[in-house]
Amino acid sequence: MLWLVRSAIVALYPSGGALPGAAECGIDESLARFRREAPTLLWVGAVAGALVFHLSPLFTVFVPLPAFLLPAGLLDKHASRIAGTRVYLLKQAIFLVKLVAGLCWGAHPEVRRRLALPPLPADPGTWRTS
Amino acid sequence: MSHVAFRGAGEQPLDGDFDFVVVGSGAGGAAAAVTLARGGASVAIVEAGPWRAPDDYPHSSYGSMRDLMDDFGQQVTMGRALWPVVQASVVGGTTVVNSAICVRTPGDIFAQWEREHGLSGLEDPVLAAQDRLERELCAEEVPVSARGRSNVLAKAGADKLGWSDSHYMVRYVKQCAGSGQCLQGCRGGQKQSLNLNFVPEVRTRGGTVVSCAPVERVVFEGTRAVGVRGHFRHPQTRARGAAFFLRAKKAVVVAASATHSPVLLARSGLALPALGEFFRAHPGTGVFGNYDEPVDMNVGATQGWASVAFREKPGLKLETLAIPPELVASRLAGGGRELMERLARYRHLAMWCHAVRAESTGTVKPSFFGGRPVVRYTLDRADMERFRMGMLLLAKQHFAAGARSVIPGIAGLPYELSPDQLPLLEDAPLDPRAYVAILSHLFGGCVMGRDEKSSVTDVRGRVHGVQGLVVADASVIPTNLGVNPQHTIMGLAQVFAQALLDGERAGTVSVGVAA
Repeated sequence: MLWLVRSAIVALYPSGGALPGAAECGIDESLARFRREAPTLLWVGAVAGALVFHLSPLFTVFVPLPAFLLPAGLLDKHASRIAGTRVYLLKQAIFLVKLVAGLCWGAHPEVRRRLALPPLPADPGTWRTS
Repeated sequence: MSHVAFRGAGEQPLDGDFDFVVVGSGAGGAAAAVTLARGGASVAIVEAGPWRAPDDYPHSSYGSMRDLMDDFGQQVTMGRALWPVVQASVVGGTTVVNSAICVRTPGDIFAQWEREHGLSGLEDPVLAAQDRLERELCAEEVPVSARGRSNVLAKAGADKLGWSDSHYMVRYVKQCAGSGQCLQGCRGGQKQSLNLNFVPEVRTRGGTVVSCAPVERVVFEGTRAVGVRGHFRHPQTRARGAAFFLRAKKAVVVAASATHSPVLLARSGLALPALGEFFRAHPGTGVFGNYDEPVDMNVGATQGWASVAFREKPGLKLETLAIPPELVASRLAGGGRELMERLARYRHLAMWCHAVRAESTGTVKPSFFGGRPVVRYTLDRADMERFRMGMLLLAKQHFAAGARSVIPGIAGLPYELSPDQLPLLEDAPLDPRAYVAILSHLFGGCVMGRDEKSSVTDVRGRVHGVQGLVVADASVIPTNLGVNPQHTIMGLAQVFAQALLDGERAGTVSVGVAA
């Protein structure tokens, strides 16, 4: 399921603009960590969001193909339209994918450099035992 | 046995005897525990989350969700809209991740509690406690050096509109450095979250802190609460560890939060009709202003400006709130190249938000599977009108401060609005599903009152019908406040704790009668 979520994220946060896209921001490592650390329900929600993303091009760009088979221009149009859907549960599912991706993307040193923010050190993940 | 953290399943179960066992170490729990410890009692604080010192705090928003938030921050309301319920699970509770905003309980709130719930005699002791708290926790106005441009712009906009109240916040922050990291925990230790002061003081006074220890049940002997039991939970793997049983010779003080306290009491077998009812909140959302010059909202205090000019009518508190790019990424509408172009404007965005003094009520009950809190809550039409009005006010404030456009984030409206498009906001939908909002200030579920049919505790937090059980957190608050609640929660908790000490001296500590 990782590739399914990853490809939705890469389409929602594409490369080629003023800021690096998710593919350039360590998305693979971040997704693997999220899969490992997040509660199951949250991961299931992200997978559901990715499924919504990939199975909905028929309703956004009127092409009966999954999103991962769309050509680049059409995929971008689909990403824009599905993120703005008025169907609430679908919108929330896509929101969750955007959130998971944003947590990785926005913390990446290159993104932060472009936004004039200092790099973030690694989260220690420690706690007091005494 | 000063601090006991996680114990694995194969290790020795933890047992201990104390005068008071306090469940939860947030604003209510830590404030109550330190009062009890100062009174000479032996106290155990038992906290579901781990103890993280500033060196342990995460840097990123992902780390904040993983390490500090309750259940990875995934709890949402079950209602017409799925709005996140934001709470921390860590020693110090939500005081670790909030902005430490210090606002005294408004006088009209005490009058309302007396008029509508028969709660008298709270105002003087709560205000006296708040006096002390402000001194002890170094409440001070955001210093000039830490204000940042977003907060300064907000003040300028409000002043230009002539709002009757517009001020830089007073917060429990000692010489704020303006690192913009309140939501991830203040690594510099300037923010006086209660894991840095009251909890260590309890230890210094001989108390015990048990962390990574979610309480499953309050244990009763007859109608008297005699302790709490549960199993440790590993903070990383969530693996279930050894059992613990902490006996309370005098009383159990439950301060596990507005969502967890009512659910804990329900799981423990209490069947009061008002338990889990009258849940309230201050739902809120933000409006981005898009400025020509960079604002760099993450430079300076995360929250540094506020106004209560609209607290009474229509019922709103307005504040600044800087959120990092990780969260702006999902908050801005759109996907694909369009989203990336919008995100490229990040430095030029300032987010200001509102908290609605909502009258709607909901419930907090244990889930059928697992017993976790389920929050059912939907804003009614009047509250949604307040909600929409708040967004309009924020948009006007942005324009008064010089924004070239605002980004309201409302489904069905254009992504950006210019000043001449403000009427669109006046007619924005009243369906909560059109908005991205959160519930940050939570109240009720174990509300105070005189009537056992419509309340769970009396005016000193003592649970009706049982002995030796006190609730001392936001769940006892029977109305919304219209201001940030931490100061009120701490004041009430200290008053309740002092009443326990006074009752002990008078020999009536275990008698749960109404005052």
